Amino acid sequence: MVRAVEAGYGAVRVLHGVSLEVREGETVALLGTNGNGKSTLIKCIMGMVAPAGGEIFLEREGRRVDLTRKSTEEIVSLGIALVPEGRRLFPKLSVEENLLLGAYRAQARAGIARNLAFCFEAFPVLRARRRQLAGSMSGGEQQMLAIARALMSSPQILLVDEPSVGLAPILVSRVIAKIKELKEQYQLTVLMAEQNFNQATKIADRGYIIVHGKIEFEGRDTRELRENELVKKYYLGV
Amino acid sequence: MSLIFGLLDIANIAQPAFLIAGSYAAYVLNSAYGVDPIVVGVALTPLFYLIGAGVYRVYYATFERRGEESLRGLVFFFGLLFIIEVSLSMRFGVDYRMAQAAYVGKSIDLGGGVGVAYRYLVPCLVGLAMTLTLYVFLGRTFYGRAIMAVSQDQGALRLMGANPIHIKTIAFGIGIAAASLAGALLVTIAPVIPSTDRDYIGRMFAITVLGGMGSIGGTLVAAVILGVAETLMATFFGPSWSLAVSFGILLLALAVRPAGLFGR
Ligand SMILES: Nc1ncnc2c1ncn2[C@@H]1O[C@H](COP(=O)(O)OP(=O)(O)OP(=O)(O)O)[C@@H](O)[C@H]1O
Ligand SMILES: [Mg+2]
Repeated sequence: MVRAVEAGYGAVRVLHGVSLEVREGETVALLGTNGNGKSTLIKCIMGMVAPAGGEIFLEREGRRVDLTRKSTEEIVSLGIALVPEGRRLFPKLSVEENLLLGAYRAQARAGIARNLAFCFEAFPVLRARRRQLAGSMSGGEQQMLAIARALMSSPQILLVDEPSVGLAPILVSRVIAKIKELKEQYQLTVLMAEQNFNQATKIADRGYIIVHGKIEFEGRDTRELRENELVKKYYLGV
Repeated sequence: MSLIFGLLDIANIAQPAFLIAGSYAAYVLNSAYGVDPIVVGVALTPLFYLIGAGVYRVYYATFERRGEESLRGLVFFFGLLFIIEVSLSMRFGVDYRMAQAAYVGKSIDLGGGVGVAYRYLVPCLVGLAMTLTLYVFLGRTFYGRAIMAVSQDQGALRLMGANPIHIKTIAFGIGIAAASLAGALLVTIAPVIPSTDRDYIGRMFAITVLGGMGSIGGTLVAAVILGVAETLMATFFGPSWSLAVSFGILLLALAVRPAGLFGR
């Protein structure tokens, strides 16, 4: 749950009072074209950018946990994982070392063997290449590794920032379908930032459209999103 | 050294000073109480770990956090090197010091008239054990893997739930502890004076780079190659050539493999 968040870099304000909510078990899409503030919002949630105003919190079992002033490490240890923009793998470490680092948080260490087996099953290419350096893998493989690494932390909430960037269309469909599959398997709650409208709405339950740092539209289901004027203007070129 | 310089991207040129400090610590306890210098070296690693961790914290608070790491950081470590060296000179003078141990003077006979003195064998085995321990620690533990990752992408390491400052503190402590133990080994093998560290700055640098920054196995191989080459040169052409050889080999090797022998 994010309420009235303001944020920016230096003197530049990027987010102007953004509010959104993701309920347990949902897949929510955060849609917007380049530079509208999707990544900035995601970074605020993860404690990588300090918001100038507003609040970000987690409601779990009736208790409210404030994330606004927490460090990234603390947020991760609450069971929130991010597949970051640009993947942010450790290029000089092997695939397996990257995955094991994903399980760094204390609560994930017990489940390492099981999670590793799950990841290798979901992404067989990672098993085949587990000794290869992450930096020498193809873009598609790296994206899969980034997703698998996030899952290694046994998260309850998964944030994904533009998984489609730099991938061929066929790979985009595959990665998106995989996110849905994993979400069901792990009973995750997912917030996905995307500018690939068609792909994102394939798996999202509902979504928000962000334009110039403001939520301009909230679609309660994918049909509402598809029929929205903004979408027609920005994405469908009508 | 490889740990800090190669894995953390911190130009700790004071590392050899900690090595010599380790030598003197071993020497003092050895000559005062007759404790084996290597036992002293091992026993003091926790202390040097804490000193190393403390040094990193100071470095972090005064330089790294403000993004002034490169040049001013270098000055900081240079100052540290100088202070340690001068304090050691003032306390112990500039005479050569060497530790004594029960096995010094004895040697193991390998047959055919070839023998190895325990004075060399014991420190060498302890050194190998230390290298192996570091290698396993880096590859097999969560802290070890985080240390390998921290210079590649600190932000991403945070996303794994690890605090990069904490990780670097641990790595720095281990690096200094390892240097002090190496110092204790050195003072068992050969005499040491406070300025011995200067001979080691160049060598340590050459070995770290040749082995591939941050590769423990590579560091070991590089150390052996350079050690053998230096000895050969010193034997045939005189000792003044030996350091030139290290850098000659380094330049040649880097021309062929820019990442070092085992760098990735
Ligand atoms: N580190 C930064 N420093 C200064 N400005 C930044 C920084 N990161 C992003 N911005 C600016 O903030 C605005 C929003 O960027 P953001 O990355 O949130 O957009 P986005 O919606 O994720 O776009 P994209 O689809 O291209 O990833 C942009 O105008 C960008 O130039
Ligand atoms: Mg972005």
